[in-house]
Parts: sequence; structure tokens; C-alpha cells
Amino acid sequence: MLDARAWLLWALAVLVTASSTRNPLYVVLVLLIAAAVELACTPRRRGGLPASFRFGAVAVPLAALFNGLTVHLGETVLFRLPGWLPLLGRPVTLEAFAYGAINGLTLTAIFSGFSTFNRVTPARDLVRLTPRAFHEAGIVLSIALTFVPQMTRSLNQIREAQAVRGHRVRGLRDWLPIFVPLLVGGLERALGLAEAMVARGYGAISDQAHSPRAQALLALGLLALLLGWLTTLFLPQWRVAGIGGMIAGAGLIGGLLWRVGRSVAHTTYRARRWTAREGLVVLGCAVTLAFLLALLPFVDRETLYYSPYPRLALPAFDPGVGLGILGLLGPALVAKAEETACDD
Amino acid sequence: MRRIISGAIYVLSATIGVLAFVYPFFDVSRQPQASAHTQDAPLITAALVGLSVVALLVELQGRAISAKTVALLGVLVAIASVLRFIETAVPMPGGFSPIFAPIILAGYVFGGRFGFLMGTFTLLASALITGGVGPWLPYQMFTAGWAGMTAGWLGKIPTDVLIRNLQSSVSKTRDWRLEIGLLCAFGFVWGLLYGVIINVYFWPFAAGPATQAWAPGLGLWETLGRYGVFYAVTSLGWDMARAVGNVALILLLGPATVRALSRFRKRFHFEVWPDA
Repeated sequence: MLDARAWLLWALAVLVTASSTRNPLYVVLVLLIAAAVELACTPRRRGGLPASFRFGAVAVPLAALFNGLTVHLGETVLFRLPGWLPLLGRPVTLEAFAYGAINGLTLTAIFSGFSTFNRVTPARDLVRLTPRAFHEAGIVLSIALTFVPQMTRSLNQIREAQAVRGHRVRGLRDWLPIFVPLLVGGLERALGLAEAMVARGYGAISDQAHSPRAQALLALGLLALLLGWLTTLFLPQWRVAGIGGMIAGAGLIGGLLWRVGRSVAHTTYRARRWTAREGLVVLGCAVTLAFLLALLPFVDRETLYYSPYPRLALPAFDPGVGLGILGLLGPALVAKAEETACDD
Repeated sequence: MRRIISGAIYVLSATIGVLAFVYPFFDVSRQPQASAHTQDAPLITAALVGLSVVALLVELQGRAISAKTVALLGVLVAIASVLRFIETAVPMPGGFSPIFAPIILAGYVFGGRFGFLMGTFTLLASALITGGVGPWLPYQMFTAGWAGMTAGWLGKIPTDVLIRNLQSSVSKTRDWRLEIGLLCAFGFVWGLLYGVIINVYFWPFAAGPATQAWAPGLGLWETLGRYGVFYAVTSLGWDMARAVGNVALILLLGPATVRALSRFRKRFHFEVWPDA
């Protein structure tokens, strides 16, 4: 199984790719790649189709229908709705349906990437991704994730106990005798846990506030981010300086996180391994992003932008961009190679 | 000095968060270069929101979270996450979600800082459990955090009845009508406000009729008017289910939950003094 960090980078690359284009050919390509990765890397569910296809089967027609009926732009008129219908009562065009469908496809592609990410990455691996600077946040999340099964068990036990006493859940009001014992039981557990943590010395060393210098650096980082962003928004002639400000701000916040993280004692029970497989996946994502975002001479970035208005036309397809998007296939190729190696 | 810097951090991250949601209302795209970068805008905005959430969490953590807060937060987040799990398993009407009532009630009893953490962690933990991690998550965390934080401010309203109520855990001496009425109104407003805020971040990129769509060069009032129509047509009904659901849950569970949380707030005030 791939490292959660590699999966996170892959999901982000899918997000950036799907958000960077409105060309349906590229969006469909991203969607097919995400579905191929989902099929290759996750256990098959009964019913066959990947989750993204089932989501798309609802999202694409709905988006097309909504846009088609409410937007009255475009030259290919399909039919006209009576003028007395508020919002709907004008010509309904093929272009409006197409634009809505493209929006639905983009949404499905983004959903598809994160759906695969959610399915292949266990929650405990995601918690382990928490930077050391957020060790308290990591503990809160760990406690929450550990307590969820206990809470679910408690909920069932309370329901059974109330049912034995003749209590039946018919409406919202009937949840009160179930919710209150669940809450009070949870709070009692929290109290016991807090006492146990204090008894074991939690916070004896690290329970200290940040230094004023660290706080000042954090404030400075946020200020640089804000000023940089405002510059890019309102002063386009200073865009480069604005981006520099945002990078400096992000760098300051990142540096502070690293510094705070270093002061937290941390023991790794089982070290995460970064192998050539993860390297291959990240390399594939880097290739995709380079083809989409960098100004490469053999890539026609203009084909990324597409609008069906005013008259629907076939979108252009640049083989360079298509080839770049194929970089997202990394996880599927790695899974296939592993499967072949196991068979041998 | 520490308080001033801390206040500056809160103000700066809140400003970034608010701007991330409302920047489409400003006339940015009148600039000729801006239109070429409209595709990047959602990604940059999501990254900025993520960074400001990170900065705010660092600041909140830096003020030394005790074992009691960590344990209490963990367990309450687990309870709220179980409620979201139920919501995912059993379809609820419209945008109704049972997770907002616990966030509001916890923020009201334990204060704004706890409420913010409860809101952000509830959305994060429940997203991990239900597979809801995505680019929308930083916005959801920020907005739920604001709901929890502002609920904490409700408890600071200088009303004699409220102060007396919050200091008292004995239900017979409490005047629940004002307290629960206030919380119901707050839950109703946040039920709608959550949708209003979350919708703003994708509205400029959503297709729609001219009377509802964002366009470059519109004035503030015209933009607000168009967003109002867009919201009323696409989301009001959906969000109304959430607002009414919040009111129903707070009416039903509010008094018992506030009573239990107030009692435990007192019990959580133990201090460990090591031997000299």
C-alpha cells in the first residue's frame, strides 16, 4: 500500500488538474484516470461501478438540467418555455445544457480524486500526517477517532436498554432519553481520561505557551499573506510582488510550524517508508502539473479554456496536455506492477 | 504585549477568512490581468484559508491546552462525529445536520475558544470518518469554527439572567425560556448563515442566469443583489431545513445538554499541585 503522503499529493494533483480546465475532453480524461486508479487500488464493491461514476450519474444530469433550464444563452434553441414561468420562461439552449454538464463533470472529477483518496487511506494514517507542531490537535483527533466506535457501541447499548424499559423511538422527541445518557457517559469518560493523562504527566513539559517572538513571527506571516493577496487582487501591476509576499508569508508560517514541531518530543512506533513506488507517483503528479501550469513550448495551454457559448463546437485536444494528464495514472501503474510481481 | 499579538493573529486570520469568502464581491476582475487568473483563484483562496486555519490553530494551541481540554474536546468531537455518521447513513431532509447543535451548545457553555476548536475538529474528524475530505473542508472547518466561537460570545452577553443561569447548574433556579430562546434564534441564524458563507466561495465559478451570476465590474450592491437571488433560488429551501432542524434540536436537547455541560464544566476545574 502506498504512503498516505503520496496519496495526498495525488489527490491534490487531481484537484488542481480538474480545476485548471473547462475542456470536457481533459475533464473526462481525468475522470477516467481517477476511476482506473480507484478500480486498481481499492477492493471491488458489489455493484461494480466505481463510486465516482455513481456520483456522476446524478451530478452531471442535475447540473445540466439546472443550467439548461435557467440560463438562456446560446444559439442552438431546443425549445421555448412559456414566458409566464419565472426564471425558466425563455428559450432553452443546447449550449446551456452543455455548460451545466461540463460543470457537473468537473465536480465529479474532483469528487472522484478525493473519493479514491478517502477509500485507500485509513483515518489513522491521516492522523499520522498531522505535523508535530499540532501534537495537541493530533491527540484530540486520535481521541475522537478512538472514541467514535465506543460511542457507537454506547449508543446501541443505551437504545437497547431503553427498549427493554419500553421506550420506542418514534420521533425526534424520543431521542432525548438516548442522547443525554450518551452525553453524560461521554463526559464521565473524558473526565477519567483527563485524570489519567494528568497522572501520567501529560503537559508536564510541553504545556507551555509559545514565546512572544514565535507569536510575532506568526502574526508577521499572516500579515505578509494578507498584503500579498490584496496586492494580487487589487494591484495587478504589482502581481509578482504580491505573489512574493504570499510565498514569504507561507514560508514564515511553515518555518514556525517546523520550529514549534522540533520542540515536541516525538516517538515513532513504526517508521513510515518512502520507497521508489511513492517516488514514481509523485513524479507522475509533478509531470502533470508541469505540463498544465508551466509554459512549456510543446504544450498548447489555450486548449485548457473552453466555452460552449455562443454556439456549441467540438473542443480542441492537445496531445501534449493529454500526455501530461496521464501522469496521474501513477498509483494504478504501481498497483498493477505489484499485482504482477505477486502473481509471478 | 502577548495579548496584543494574540489579538492581531485572531484579527488577521479572521480577515483572511472573511476576504476568502467575500472577495468576489469586490471589483477585482475589472483589472485586465485578473481574468487570466480566474481559474487559479479557487485554489489560491483554498490554500490561504487552509494557512489561516493552521495559523489560528497554532495560536490556540500555543496558549497551552490542558489535558482536561484535550480529553473533553476529543470526546465531544467523537459524539458530534457519531451524529454526522448517523446523518450520512440515514438521509435527513435538505441540509439538516445534527452536528451544529452540539457545536453551538459546547461553544455557549465552554466559551469562544473551545467553540472554535470544537467546530473545526468536529468537521475534520467527521470528514475523516465519513470520507468527506476535499477542497471544501478548510471552508467548512472555518465556518463551523466561527459558529462555535460566536456561540461562546452569546454567553458573554451581560444579561443578569444569562450570567446567573450559566453560573448555576441547578435546573430549578434557571430561567430556560430566555436562554433556550436565544440559542434557538442563534441556531436558526447560523443554519442559514452556514449555507450563505459556504456558497460564496464557489458562486463566482458557478454557471447561472444573468440575474444570479457573478460578473466582473458589477458594483457592490448589484453583486449582493445577484447573490441574494442566487441564494434564494438554489439554497434557501435546503438551508431552511438546517435552520429549522437546529431550532428543533436545541429546543429538545438544549436544556438537558446545557445542564450536563455546565455541571461538568465545574467538575473539570480540578488542578494538580505537585509536592514541593
